[in-house]
Amino acid sequence: MKKLVGLFLVLAVIVVIPAIESAFAAGDEPGEYLDRRAVIWNLFFRMMTIAFVVGAVVSGTMIWQCWRFRESHPKAKPTAYEGTDW
Amino acid sequence: MVLELQKPRPIWQIMFSTHHTDVGLLYLITSVAFLFMGGALALAIRAELFLPGAQIIGDAMTFNRIFTVHGTTLIFLFIIPFASAVGNYFVPIMVRYKDMAYPKLNAIAFWMIPPAGALIWLGFADFTWYATPPYSIISAPGPAADMWIFGLKILGISSVLGAINFIVTILKCKHPDMSIGQVPLLAWSFLSSSLIIIVAIPTFAAALLMLLTDRLGVSGFFNPAMGGDPIAYAHLFWFTFHPEVYVLVIPAIGMMYEIIPRFSRKPIYSYNSGIFAFVLLSIVGFSSWAHHMYATGMSFTEKTVFMIGTLAAVPASAMHVFNFIATMWNARIKFSTPMMWAVGGIALFFSAGAGGVANAAMPLDFSTHDTYWVVGHFHLFVMGTIAFGSIGYLYYMFPYVTGRMYNETMGKVHFVMSFIGTVLVFFTQHVLGLYGMPRRIFDYPPIPEWIAMNQIVTVGAMIIGVSMAIFLINMIYSSGKGKLANTEDPFGVGGKYYYPFEAKNPSH
Repeated sequence: MKKLVGLFLVLAVIVVIPAIESAFAAGDEPGEYLDRRAVIWNLFFRMMTIAFVVGAVVSGTMIWQCWRFRESHPKAKPTAYEGTDW
Repeated sequence: MVLELQKPRPIWQIMFSTHHTDVGLLYLITSVAFLFMGGALALAIRAELFLPGAQIIGDAMTFNRIFTVHGTTLIFLFIIPFASAVGNYFVPIMVRYKDMAYPKLNAIAFWMIPPAGALIWLGFADFTWYATPPYSIISAPGPAADMWIFGLKILGISSVLGAINFIVTILKCKHPDMSIGQVPLLAWSFLSSSLIIIVAIPTFAAALLMLLTDRLGVSGFFNPAMGGDPIAYAHLFWFTFHPEVYVLVIPAIGMMYEIIPRFSRKPIYSYNSGIFAFVLLSIVGFSSWAHHMYATGMSFTEKTVFMIGTLAAVPASAMHVFNFIATMWNARIKFSTPMMWAVGGIALFFSAGAGGVANAAMPLDFSTHDTYWVVGHFHLFVMGTIAFGSIGYLYYMFPYVTGRMYNETMGKVHFVMSFIGTVLVFFTQHVLGLYGMPRRIFDYPPIPEWIAMNQIVTVGAMIIGVSMAIFLINMIYSSGKGKLANTEDPFGVGGKYYYPFEAKNPSH
C-alpha cells in the first residue's frame, strides 16, 4: 500500500510541477515570449498520459477484483467476518 | 415503523407527520419525481442537438429555458432532496436517536421544496442555473427570472434548516455510549456536507438578494451600466457552488460506504481515512472556487493559488477510491443491483476526477473553458458518481421502505443500460469539447465531427432514458406487488444491519 501511495505521490508531482512552470513562464514582463499553444498541448498530452496510465491501473484493478472476488468465483471463500456480528 | 407501504396509512398521515421516516419518504418521492421531470428535459435537449438546425424546439429562448430548468431541477430538486431522504431515514437510526433533533423544523424544511419547485417550473427562466449577469438583471424576462430567484432563495433556506438539523442530531443527539469516532461513515458524510452548507449557502443567499434588487433597478451591484461588476457575482456564486459540488458528492460517497462493505461482506478497510477524507474535502472545497473563472482576467498568482487549491482535492478523493478497492480485496462480493451501481459509480467518479485534474490546470482550462468538455466533466460527476450512488442506495433502501423486493433482473438491466449510456454521453462530450464545440448553444455549424459526436451523445441519452423507464416500472410495480422482503437481511449477505424496520415511531 505504501508503494502505491508513493507511486501516486510521484505522479502528482509530475503533474503539478509543469503546470506551475507554465503558469509562471508566461510572465507579465514585456519581451517575454511563450508559445502558449505548444505549451498547453504539451501539458495536455503529458497529463492525459498520466491520467490514462493511472486510470488504466485503477480501472484494471477494479475490473479484475470484481471478477476474482465475486461470490460465484470457484476460489471464493467466506471472509473472516461472515457469521460474526461485525 | 418504516414499512409505510406494507402497512398503508392515509396519505395525509404521512404528509402531516414530523417523524423522520415519514419526512424521508416525502423527500424520496419528491426527489424521484423531479429526477424524471429533469431527465425528460435532458432528452428534449439531446433530441434538439441530434442534428444542426432547429429540430423539435422552436427557438433558442425556449432551448435556454429548458436547459436552465433541467440543471436547476436535477441539482436542487433531485440530488439535494434525495440526500435528505437518505439522511432522514438513516441518520437518526445510525446515531441511535428516536428522531431528528428538531422534527417540526425538519418537516418545514421539506415543505419548502414543493413551492420552490413550483416557482422554478411555472416560471421556466432562461438565464442558466448560474443566472448569468448582466443578462439576468438587464434583460432576462420576468416574472420567470424573479420566480427562479425566489425559488432558489426558498431552497437555500430549506438546505440550511436541514443542515442545522443533521449537525445537531449527529453531534448532540447521538447515543451517549457512542463516540463521534463510532458514528457510521454515512452519518459522517451528512455531518461534513451539512457543515459546508452552513458556511457556503449564506454567500449565495446574499448574491440572490443583490441580483433581485439589481433587477428591480434599486441597486447596481452586478450591472456594469451602474458601475457594478458581473465578476463579483461570479465570485459570490462560485464561493457557494464549488463547495456545493462536495455537498452533492459527499453524501453519495457516504452511501457507497454503506453499500460496498455490506455486499463485500467485510467492514470498510479504513474507517478513519474515510472520515479524514470527508473532512479534508469539506475544507479544500473552499479553496478552489475561482478555478471557474480563470478566463476572467485574474492574475497568474491568483490562478496558481486556486489551481493548487483545486488539486488538493485529489488526494482526498483518491483516498475514498482506494478505501473502496481495499475493502473489496479478498472479499466475497455479491453483485446485487445496489453493489453494481456503487462499483459503477466509483469507476465513473475516478474518470470524472481525472478529467477534473486536467481541467484544473489553468493552461488547459483556457482550451476547454465554456466548451462541452466542461459539460461532460460536470455531468460525469453528477450523473456518473452522485446519481449512480443515489440510485444504488435507492435500490438498497427499497426493501426497508416498502417491505418488498424490487425486480433484480430489471435493476441490473437498468444499471447496464445506464452505465453504457453514461459513458457514451459524457465521455463523448469531453472529446466534443476538445473539438471546440461551445456549451449552451441551440444550433451548431454542420461540422461532420460535431454532428457525429452529437448523434452518439443523443443515442446514449436515449439509452439512459429507456433504462429510467424500466426503473420507474420496477419501482412502481415492485412497491405494490413485489416479493415480500426479509427485512432482517433482504439481500442475503449476512452481517449486522442498522435494522431500520425496527425504528419505533411514537406518533403512529
